[in-house]
Amino acid sequence: MRTVSPFVLPLWLGIACATPVEVPTDTFDAAPPVLRRLTQSQVEHAVRDLFGADVYVPADLDAALRVDGLEAIGTARIAVSPRGVERYEAAAFAVARQALDATHRAAIVPCSPAAADDAGCAAQVIRTVGRRVWRRPLTDAEVDGLVAVAVAAGRAYADADEGLVYGVAGLLQSPWFLMRPEPGADDPAVPGARVYDGYALASRLSFFLWDTIPDDALLDAAARGDLSTDDGVDAQVVRMVADPRAHDGLRAWAADLMQLSNLKDVRKDTTVYPTWTDDLAASAGEQVLRSFEDQVFTLDADLGGLLTSRRLAVDPGLARAYGVAAPVREGFGVVRLPDDSERVGLLGQLGFLALHAHAASSSATLRGRFVREALLCETIDPPPPGVNTTIPEPSPDAPTLRDRVAAHLDNPSCAGCHARMDPLGLALEQFDGAGAFRTEEGGATIDVRGTLDDVDFVGASGLADAVRAHPAFVPCLVEQVTRYALGRPLTDADRPALAALVTAFEAHGRRLQPLWMDLAQSPLFRRVGEVE
Amino acid sequence: MRTIDRRTLLRGLFGGAAVSVALPPLACLLDSHGTAWADGTAFPRRFLQWTWGDGVVPARWVPSTTGAGADWVLSDALAPLVDHKARLAVLSGLEVKAPDKAVPHWSGFMPLLTGEPLQGVDDDFTPVAPTLDQRVATEIAGTTPFRSLELGALDDTPVSYNGTYSPNPPERDPVALYDRLFGPTFRDPADADAPLDPSLALRQSLLDVVGGHVTDLQRSLGADDRARLDQHLTGLRDLELRLARLAEGPADLAACRRPSAPADATGLTDPFARHAALVDVLSLALACDLTRVATMCFLPPVNPYQFPGTPDAHHQLTHSEAGEQPLVHATTVRTMEAFATFLDALAAVPEGDGSVLDHALVLATTDCAHGQVHAYTDWPVLLAGGADGALRTDRHVRSAGGNASAVALTVMHALGLRAPSFGSGDLRVTAPVTDVLG
Repeated sequence: MRTVSPFVLPLWLGIACATPVEVPTDTFDAAPPVLRRLTQSQVEHAVRDLFGADVYVPADLDAALRVDGLEAIGTARIAVSPRGVERYEAAAFAVARQALDATHRAAIVPCSPAAADDAGCAAQVIRTVGRRVWRRPLTDAEVDGLVAVAVAAGRAYADADEGLVYGVAGLLQSPWFLMRPEPGADDPAVPGARVYDGYALASRLSFFLWDTIPDDALLDAAARGDLSTDDGVDAQVVRMVADPRAHDGLRAWAADLMQLSNLKDVRKDTTVYPTWTDDLAASAGEQVLRSFEDQVFTLDADLGGLLTSRRLAVDPGLARAYGVAAPVREGFGVVRLPDDSERVGLLGQLGFLALHAHAASSSATLRGRFVREALLCETIDPPPPGVNTTIPEPSPDAPTLRDRVAAHLDNPSCAGCHARMDPLGLALEQFDGAGAFRTEEGGATIDVRGTLDDVDFVGASGLADAVRAHPAFVPCLVEQVTRYALGRPLTDADRPALAALVTAFEAHGRRLQPLWMDLAQSPLFRRVGEVE
Repeated sequence: MRTIDRRTLLRGLFGGAAVSVALPPLACLLDSHGTAWADGTAFPRRFLQWTWGDGVVPARWVPSTTGAGADWVLSDALAPLVDHKARLAVLSGLEVKAPDKAVPHWSGFMPLLTGEPLQGVDDDFTPVAPTLDQRVATEIAGTTPFRSLELGALDDTPVSYNGTYSPNPPERDPVALYDRLFGPTFRDPADADAPLDPSLALRQSLLDVVGGHVTDLQRSLGADDRARLDQHLTGLRDLELRLARLAEGPADLAACRRPSAPADATGLTDPFARHAALVDVLSLALACDLTRVATMCFLPPVNPYQFPGTPDAHHQLTHSEAGEQPLVHATTVRTMEAFATFLDALAAVPEGDGSVLDHALVLATTDCAHGQVHAYTDWPVLLAGGADGALRTDRHVRSAGGNASAVALTVMHALGLRAPSFGSGDLRVTAPVTDVLG
């Protein structure tokens, strides 16, 4: 029996290895492959890597879908819509034209076309660029099909570069670029078992860790067969985590987990929240991402610190919103809030507080629901049919939200779910619907006592500590990373391997970088079932 | 010059035709005056869908009397439509017989338009069949370059679907819509003799190659993923077909011309202004017969727009306003004001002896009946336009407890699609609302 020991960590991390938790691979029931579509940011990063950071990609290529809390899972459900076909085609030409302009052309055209319809040079460009774009070598037939159009275009416009525009645009609008097929191959070491083939694994690693296509070094490793061995995978993962592109990978996961794509749709009643602007919303999202970068790269610390840290990146707009002095006149700088500040961690940031609130009021329910679902991996059902969800208007008898939502907890058909959400959100009531700090509502002092599964606490700082100490929190973090990396919900068959990752995550101080490495080596990431 | 419809051939290939077509012939010529089709039949019928979010206040919506002409009067909510009363039919009393309300603003809305229960829960849901606009487009798009248009005056929430997890996201930027319709690929009837841009043919060739990639990729996939890529393939073929039709140039219709570009709408947050700008472009697209099917999502389900003079975003307001909900009602009146401007724009495009509105069927509806409690009974439904005489208007028809799937069947029949039924299970109906059919 071969066992994968996914927790052999590189020495450069300076970690004493935990006892490896071994998952027997010959009994591991691998899930079938999923077919994901590239996200907007993956397309943008790929174009940057292929042609240059200044090459512009049109926004809103095709709609995303959030499934089970993650757009990463939605990418395996959606296809390219008819409207998407149109947008991808337009984007492919827009990008290809920039790639062939005077500034960028030399990077992808190694030959000098002998004529406007020079097929040889076109083939060379398509083959070379295509290997990066499609994350695998092209077949001769694939090259020939695109060259034929490129030659026809070159001839029609009497311009070889115009032909290359068509060739590159063809590569970019192809499903071989836009979708992520991940073929399997027999595992040479375990008869009957299957693993992702080298190129598929290269793509899995690069989209997971870098949010972009593999570089040449990773594709070369796949071509050599290096990615079929633990050591070969390890060498690449170590390199990749140390690469600046790992920041993109982290930010993509953090944005997905924190649902930051919804921030652009947040509209506040400006008579109630006059300081709320689209710019502030964008800054709030960036702040959340910087908190993750701080925890994972600057500090390389326990991810639980995301909830309890008082280190905060602010730009002048956020500094005003938080009532602190801006550390820099432009862009972001780090401040440290006082130890007795109630504004603590992710749950004290505008990117969470304003997103999970209404246009003119806060929402204990929405905030509590996010904590339950995203941070503790619980499921909350929607309200039953026909329920009148009216919350009473503020009145002298019911000045605070706690008074007004009391009915949620009195009515048994509501209380089942609301008792799990509202007491968490009510502890955050010192932050209004736009995230500003307050101690009173309607002339009454806000009561911020809360309860999380029999643990009593007070206020936002108490909630942060309670969530961090909750037994479901750490496993949920591992689960959220894993679901994101795999692009699918987890099944019972995944549980033993997941439990192994949790054990290792604890042993490594709940730091994300070792978890990435462990997950990349896990059978969850490398083994694949048959196509269904 | 128009040629035989390639879509008919494609439909044959994919076996997609579920209803028979009793419409003007698809391969047709215009007469030399551009006043009617060459064989004397009427102008093409259009189907336009106009939706808003979060229902209505039923007590202020439903007209107090039924009947036609002077027998019925507009309700408070419908008062802004006074100039269009003669071309309006109000259907009331209908219920969407959905099996559940798991996603309150979608579990009734999508079944109304698809005839099938919504799949999924909460933040992971999808209709599993094409929405009415797409079913109709399959039959009436004819040789138009754009099978359908989807527009949104507030955001990009899709209300049009091709099927499972296949939304048609709306365009909300009037300038982008203009570029798409009247950009370089548009051939003004006045410049019909200008040389063809070779890009139209080259792009078709490239799409053909890409379609081959999709087919190659499908070979290695499971059934579900193959079906997902079928959608991609359909989209590629639609675009190829569009380019072929654009190369032919637009029909020589009297009101068709290349319009001037709309003003930059970046930062335009008022959905009324955005709606007006989008409708300007849409009405010209109809005048040029660039499309025959369009969906305008004026305001989306779970509508986050805050109407001036109200204390909260619309969705929140529908749930939080107590009593008889005068403020929610006022937002419905404002919404109907916008709908009146939509009808005004269609009526302003001359076509033959009448206007585009005379040749169009407009369905206006929302995502639930009484927004506060997500009621699915007494669903708000308006039909408007002439549909070439196929729709009997100036009437209020009440069918208490009737199956709301009859709305879709009525639309299809009014457009000449003789489907025997619409929907499945409890949602299935076999009879349209005959009182409004001519």
